[in-house]
Amino acid sequence: MVSTGSRRLPLEGVRILDITVVWAGPYGTQMLADWGAEIIRIESIKHFPPTTRGMMPRPDRGMPSLGGGSAQFPDHEPGERPWNRWASFNAHARNKRSMTVDLRRPEGQEVFDRLLQISDGIMENNVPISMERVNVTWERVHKVNPRAIMIRQPAFGIDGPYKNYRTFGSHMAAVVGHYSFMGYRGEDPSLTGNTLTADAAGGAAGALAFSAGLRHRDKTGEGLFIELSTAENFMTYLGDQFMDYSMNGLRTEHQGNRDPIYAPQGVYPCVGDDRWIAISVQSDEAWRAVAGTVMQRPDLAADSRFATLAGRQEHHDELDVELLTWTVTQDAIEAMNVLQANGIAAGTVMAESDAYADPHMKEIGFWEELTAPEVGTHLYTSTLWKAKNTPRRHRWGPPRLGEDNEYVYKELLGFSDKDYAEYEAAGHIGMDYDLDPAD
Amino acid sequence: MSMASQQQGERQDAAVLPFSGLRVIDLTWHVAGPFGTRRLADWGADVIKIERPGVGDPGRDIPPFYEDQPGLERSGLFMYTNLGKRSMTLDLKSERGRQIVLDLVKDADVLVESFRPRVMPSLGLDYETLRAVNPRLIMTSISNYGQTGPYRDWEATEITSYAMGGAMINTGHPEREPLNFGGRVAAYQVGAVAAAATSIHLLSVEASGEGDHLDVGALPVWMGAIDRRQSYLMGYQYGGGNSTRPWPAGAIGSGTWICQDGYFMTTAGPAMFPRFMQMVGMGDLLQTPEWSTPMARSAPERLDESLAVIVPWMLERTKKEIRAECQEFGVLGGPINSFEDLHNDEQLQHTQFFQEIDHPTTGPIAYPGYHVKLHFVDGSGLPARKRAPLLGEHTDEILRDVLGRDEAEIAGLRSEGVV
Repeated sequence: MVSTGSRRLPLEGVRILDITVVWAGPYGTQMLADWGAEIIRIESIKHFPPTTRGMMPRPDRGMPSLGGGSAQFPDHEPGERPWNRWASFNAHARNKRSMTVDLRRPEGQEVFDRLLQISDGIMENNVPISMERVNVTWERVHKVNPRAIMIRQPAFGIDGPYKNYRTFGSHMAAVVGHYSFMGYRGEDPSLTGNTLTADAAGGAAGALAFSAGLRHRDKTGEGLFIELSTAENFMTYLGDQFMDYSMNGLRTEHQGNRDPIYAPQGVYPCVGDDRWIAISVQSDEAWRAVAGTVMQRPDLAADSRFATLAGRQEHHDELDVELLTWTVTQDAIEAMNVLQANGIAAGTVMAESDAYADPHMKEIGFWEELTAPEVGTHLYTSTLWKAKNTPRRHRWGPPRLGEDNEYVYKELLGFSDKDYAEYEAAGHIGMDYDLDPAD
Repeated sequence: MSMASQQQGERQDAAVLPFSGLRVIDLTWHVAGPFGTRRLADWGADVIKIERPGVGDPGRDIPPFYEDQPGLERSGLFMYTNLGKRSMTLDLKSERGRQIVLDLVKDADVLVESFRPRVMPSLGLDYETLRAVNPRLIMTSISNYGQTGPYRDWEATEITSYAMGGAMINTGHPEREPLNFGGRVAAYQVGAVAAAATSIHLLSVEASGEGDHLDVGALPVWMGAIDRRQSYLMGYQYGGGNSTRPWPAGAIGSGTWICQDGYFMTTAGPAMFPRFMQMVGMGDLLQTPEWSTPMARSAPERLDESLAVIVPWMLERTKKEIRAECQEFGVLGGPINSFEDLHNDEQLQHTQFFQEIDHPTTGPIAYPGYHVKLHFVDGSGLPARKRAPLLGEHTDEILRDVLGRDEAEIAGLRSEGVV
């Protein structure tokens, strides 16, 4: 294969200011950072945005709510600076830089302008009123740097009746109709739980939009203002259901684990605790392979009631029982392997430990080891895609709060040691939170 | 419902959209690929969709169908994911069909395909062949598992994707089987990531003059960019162990509540619960040792005591009333809406999100609008969109105008079944 080896990353030389919080915004700047953009997170030691570098700056050790999922510290130890050790932040922050400045004060505003003048643009995903309070608006950005690209990514829009509504991705999913069809069949929506894919979707949209903005600027010399409503963007992922409503009217039933064109389809228990496999039978031939070859049930394979999609849909409950009777005796990984070997779409519901043990993910290089100060050495996910002619590695791990202050103030903005010390004394520059009582 | 095409003025000069001037050869099918190339078409790219003669993209066979009746020009999914593209039919397995692809690639910027990894090489259309024809080409290959690795040729559907990506283990109820996402959200996300990848690497072509081959495997996308999975994987690395499905209302102030006219979802937890307490009239308790700190509020007794207040409070109010209170007190939450609710939604009416688009099968109907709003410096915005193409609608026009074939050649290709 042809490889030019030391080829530059596509976004090398692009500098983007990043005032993003929680997930939706950071996911977008993550993709841009992974491919070479210099992402400078603008943070403040005077303000702690909740659920970005933690739920709170200094959580009580051993709080039960800190267990499980992404709200983890290495070895359950918040440490001296818990905000540098939070899994949820560190997962997306590799390859980014962090600087601190208090935008609520005039000298902080001056730093912002000077940085903007030497940047290609800015991305933020705050409640609009928060950005307006510190005058981070398109009008200001465009005036300071007419070639700048700006993405504002509020939940619902930069104006309108929901302008300042505060939500997470799960609430956006509720608002835009996802939970009207996602849920267990015949059950109450409270059993559905919550999903935050509006955020992940917002990340892909942000990366696309900023790179398209760069293209537009290079072509026209003009900046571009991109309004990315995380909720509206997620609605575009529900296209088939919207079209169904527009064409055929309202349906209200939950889909559960079934599908209109694949049957039987479901998630079935395997040997062990919380072990499951998803099976999706894509054709008549696939059904005969599942029943006859994999489950060794020639009677099912030959049963004319199950020969067609319509027949399998009609008798779906019965087929669920037959499949389950087989899966409960199987290991979840082995069942996936044997089904796939017979051409059946099947996937283990992978726990985190399955993901790290998975031979495919290892072989395609999905994990990259990074060592970060105050955090340690861990495996991080690699890029979402590979480029044949542009090999790459993560450049560094998640930046600590204010990690790059010297680089930004001195190298980029030309601050003298004396000016730097003044900004430090004034509470702009630092690596520890020194919160105002109001925060 | 208001459906003016844009609140702002429409951009009249299509030559200055971000992707105008780009030509994309689109060999994608089904859901993910077409949704990805649709995003390029949305912003001005000339997307030429290649379909199998007589049959077309299998996406044409996926419901929903207009009036629930299948047909090549009746799939709402196809109409939606292929807005603004041109369609030409072509038999890729014929040598003349292959040559037409190579001729198209010569002057194209991008080729996107979503076949199984073995298909493009078997058609004589592997990256090296395309690169020899056009060294500046970005080839974006979308597949279920990537172009390499032991699962390369495995099967996948939406539900198996969501399962293997891992976020499914957290979806649903702890005493039930894990629950699918609903819809084809995982596939849409793969398409959106492929569009972003293509756009990012196009910038590299401008700088270096050299193209690239992008390998967008859906499994890495499902693990790295579906729901919170990436963060949960990091949490596991930090020693957090495997996660599972949380209990409804298992964290204080978080859950999906029954209210007067439906359901309402909120999120709080011990750190953010004070605002919730003020909203439901428990504010006075904040001064007591049982409720004053996050640690105190994480005791199991507090959860039970909170439910005794929250459940009746929700039952007495409508979705709209609860939403207003949440915003007043800064509580995170939202109503469980139906699509009917959305068509009457005041914010979506304000932003004029829905777009009315005409199609020979359906007549004018409402589509979800653009995923972002571009505000150009002259005050204009994106133009109205064109409907999805009928099968082979632009075959002749592309052969004639793009490839310079004359009428006799076109007739010859048609009689041989190449187009």
